Amino acid sequence: MKTVATALTIGATAASAVFVTSHLKNPSAPLQPAVLNASTTSVAGVSVGPSVQPANEPPMTSTYAS
Amino acid sequence: MGTTCSLFALDADLARGERWVRRMGERLTRFSPDSELSRLNAHAGEWFPVSAELESVLHAALGAHRMSAGLVNAAVLPSMVAIGYSHSLTHGPSVATLVGAQPLPPLPEMLEVRPGRARVARGSGVDLGGIAKGWMADRLSETLGPACVVNLGGDLRARGRWPIGVGEATLMLRDQGAATSSTRKRRWGDVHHLIDPRTGRPAQTGLEEVSVVAATALEAEVVAKTALLLGPELAPAYCAAHAMAWWLG
Repeated sequence: MKTVATALTIGATAASAVFVTSHLKNPSAPLQPAVLNASTTSVAGVSVGPSVQPANEPPMTSTYAS
Repeated sequence: MGTTCSLFALDADLARGERWVRRMGERLTRFSPDSELSRLNAHAGEWFPVSAELESVLHAALGAHRMSAGLVNAAVLPSMVAIGYSHSLTHGPSVATLVGAQPLPPLPEMLEVRPGRARVARGSGVDLGGIAKGWMADRLSETLGPACVVNLGGDLRARGRWPIGVGEATLMLRDQGAATSSTRKRRWGDVHHLIDPRTGRPAQTGLEEVSVVAATALEAEVVAKTALLLGPELAPAYCAAHAMAWWLG
């Protein structure tokens, strides 16, 4: 049983080392949150995300500094 | 409130909405010694009973502090007084001294809120000017029905689909909010009203005005103010993560 346990331990250690080494560095891993790469467009200088659409009609009211 | 408010709605009692805005404005202002907020500040250091509305705004202030990593801090009253913003600017310009302006402690150390009561730390004071309009716009829009726009001094909430001006663009907002934070208004002498809690003094970050579209008016108000305080290098990434549309100026 000792021999089997030792063999299992060595085997698991070796397999783990191989797995970790193969995943040590992933150059394609995102360094920024995915949201930063979300498509934004520019509408008259305003950065607009996908959940907001430009309007063709005149504004009902506006946001402004007060 | 010292600003202009506009209400648009289909099949709603706008007069009732206007009365609510006036009533809440009188309750949340720090410029009237009789307001509920002023009485809370006057009892700094002890627990004070608060209405459900003030309790909700104070919770919103604590949430804004968390969301902005401390940059939106309602315990700004001592700094406001230090820069001379001790009364409404509708009554004339103030004299800025900057004496006593200090970095602000974290808001949770200055403000505790429990059901029906709140406590402001001794020597501190709460100013809700940075979030109250957004909170009120969100609250009022919930009572005006599914098709309305509540614009309180430029901080607005749209329910339904409405064309809204943001910067130089017109955007179709749908159940969203928008707000603008600026250092170009409420100025006197060389100072303005937007305090940077890291210094306790008027912010100088390289940005003068930020407009934001977000899920609610309150959220837009917090994101716009935070982006302005972060400055031009960090604001784009912050807005990309927290806003649906934004303009930096």
